[in-house]
Amino acid sequence: MPRLKVGMIGAGGVSHSHAPHWVALGAQVSVYAVAGAQELAAAYGLTAVPTLPQLFGCSDVIDICTPTLTHRELALGAIGAGKDVLCEKPLGRTVEDAKVIAAAARVAGVQVYPAHVVRFFPEYAAMHEAVAAGAIGAPAVLRFSRGGEGATSDWFFDETASGGIILDQMIHDLDQARWTAGEVTSVFAVQNPPTAGGRIPRNVVAHVTLTHVNGAISHIQGIWGPKGMDFRTSFEVAGGAGVLRFDSCAGGTTVANLAAPQVGTSYLPPASAEESPYLSELREFARAFQGGPRPRVCLDDGIIAVALAQAAQASIATGRAIEFDTSAVLATKEFAL
Amino acid sequence: MSGAVSARTKVAVLSFAHGHATGYVRYLLSRLDVEVIACDPDGATSGDTGPRGLELANQLGVTYVGSTQEALAWGPDAVVVCSENINHRALVEQAAAAGAQILCEKPLATTAADAAAMLAAVQRAGVALMVAYPVRFSPSFVDLLAQVRAGALGEVLAVMGTNNGQIPLSERQWFTDPALSGGGCFVDHIVHCADLLDSLLGQQATSVRAVSNAILHAEAGVQVETGGMVTITYPSGVIATIDCSWSQPMSAPSWGGLTLEVVGTKGSIKISPFASHVGGYGATDPIWLPYGPDLDAAMIDTFLRGVTEGRNPQPDGQVGLRTVSLMNAAQRSALTGQPVAL
Repeated sequence: MPRLKVGMIGAGGVSHSHAPHWVALGAQVSVYAVAGAQELAAAYGLTAVPTLPQLFGCSDVIDICTPTLTHRELALGAIGAGKDVLCEKPLGRTVEDAKVIAAAARVAGVQVYPAHVVRFFPEYAAMHEAVAAGAIGAPAVLRFSRGGEGATSDWFFDETASGGIILDQMIHDLDQARWTAGEVTSVFAVQNPPTAGGRIPRNVVAHVTLTHVNGAISHIQGIWGPKGMDFRTSFEVAGGAGVLRFDSCAGGTTVANLAAPQVGTSYLPPASAEESPYLSELREFARAFQGGPRPRVCLDDGIIAVALAQAAQASIATGRAIEFDTSAVLATKEFAL
Repeated sequence: MSGAVSARTKVAVLSFAHGHATGYVRYLLSRLDVEVIACDPDGATSGDTGPRGLELANQLGVTYVGSTQEALAWGPDAVVVCSENINHRALVEQAAAAGAQILCEKPLATTAADAAAMLAAVQRAGVALMVAYPVRFSPSFVDLLAQVRAGALGEVLAVMGTNNGQIPLSERQWFTDPALSGGGCFVDHIVHCADLLDSLLGQQATSVRAVSNAILHAEAGVQVETGGMVTITYPSGVIATIDCSWSQPMSAPSWGGLTLEVVGTKGSIKISPFASHVGGYGATDPIWLPYGPDLDAAMIDTFLRGVTEGRNPQPDGQVGLRTVSLMNAAQRSALTGQPVAL
């Protein structure tokens, strides 16, 4: 099999979580970015290319690691060039953006996947597998939380650009909840402080409650905290026959007790000595791009995750619980391409 | 030495319907300045598998009388009401009329109307009414309160509370009989966290939105809600959610617990007042050896001090009413899935 040629777009935060793993997998990696391509290329041994058409010209797969608002145009460009695409979450800024991308992918016959990396975190994958195997019976009440020091780049706090904490951060657990407990019928959300004048507060907390088709309830808490706050995630999934719990605060393989306070935390999850979930993720997508099995996350998952986030935002705006219907979200609608 | 005898506070425990009665009786018996009797007139007919009535009284070594009337005729200075939720009102009204100070098991009542009537009754009688919210007395909560008030978290933005326990089934069947309990896990488990939120935030909720289900223990034929999530908003903008589900599996080595995580602009603090334990594994089952302060004892001490010093011990009937109102709002919201304004 020929070496997979990957063209990365973007050289910001998350590109550092992709580039070394593409290299580790043996891909031939090029990068195009409006800024920082040379530095990223130098850091990981990639080839920086000066234009997008050149990137499309030298790649089999395009990996979109750019701010949310650019995903639609870049994905459509890559699809138009006949490339398979891996797109960072969220797949689109809006459901329409995500569906336009999906429609174009179907027409072009290329593979497009949203990079919902939390499905590849081993603790979440293990929980999902056990629940699917019936280890705790039917899921009934699920709680997910995710939080720490907030994002640093300014675009995250621009509602128009990022969709705020719900679309950018909580989309991970919206996807986890649906992956674990099934399709969703209603969405209720609150946020404090509220988004004002299109600006997301720097420190913000949101709570989203989902009701699933089988009656299960999921609660998701997202926190963008002050500088220096540790990044932590946890979940608890209770079913008719048992419960599964995880808390990143407890049970790790390394427990430090250092004299100096830890500084320099990151918006992204901390690295550990285990295999990076990003590597696991890229490996699975790479196999799919090379004709292997379907990965654990598909294009429709990306659309529905955006739709759940959008419903949560609608709930905050109206103060009401919002009815949700996956088949209506996915129903075919002709978009002008 | 009749003065020394009369100095003992006479406490009557009314009903063993709630399992907490056992701990209360044990602690009261351990106090040298308290004389305690108990009655559990409905115990014999309850059908509960756990011991009730005279049998439980004998196990505990507490003097037993056959009826509420007898217990009140004894002239107690104070009573502890541990009946089925639905019977709290009648017992509190009778005890108030008899001039006894009252500690009532949570929730104070199943409806805000009943709770308000109970407050009116104790006011008429001039007796104190305290609600059994022992978690308020946990050192971790006391510390959390102090830290929040000292500004350690900056401005409070959000609170996540959980009160998940094993479902009470055969040993206390009334918990899942809505005619006696007033509902399921909403009635049993919203109010503890609601009380902590009341104390922590010092504000009244502006809206409540709740969802419930009955997936857990459906196979046991349980007719009430067993899972629930309640989201509350406050005038300051603070958001809070309470997971009140009976989601601790029956296979678990402990009854469950309560957690409260407060998130502010300077970070977060999470407390787990029931987490202290030595854990391990026996030949067939996990072992869980809880330790830590006796919260019931701290609560009863506060109650008895109130009785002897003529003060109104906290948490009082007013917070009992506020927390029942919040629980009722959650019940109403769950009917439609839409928020309810308070």
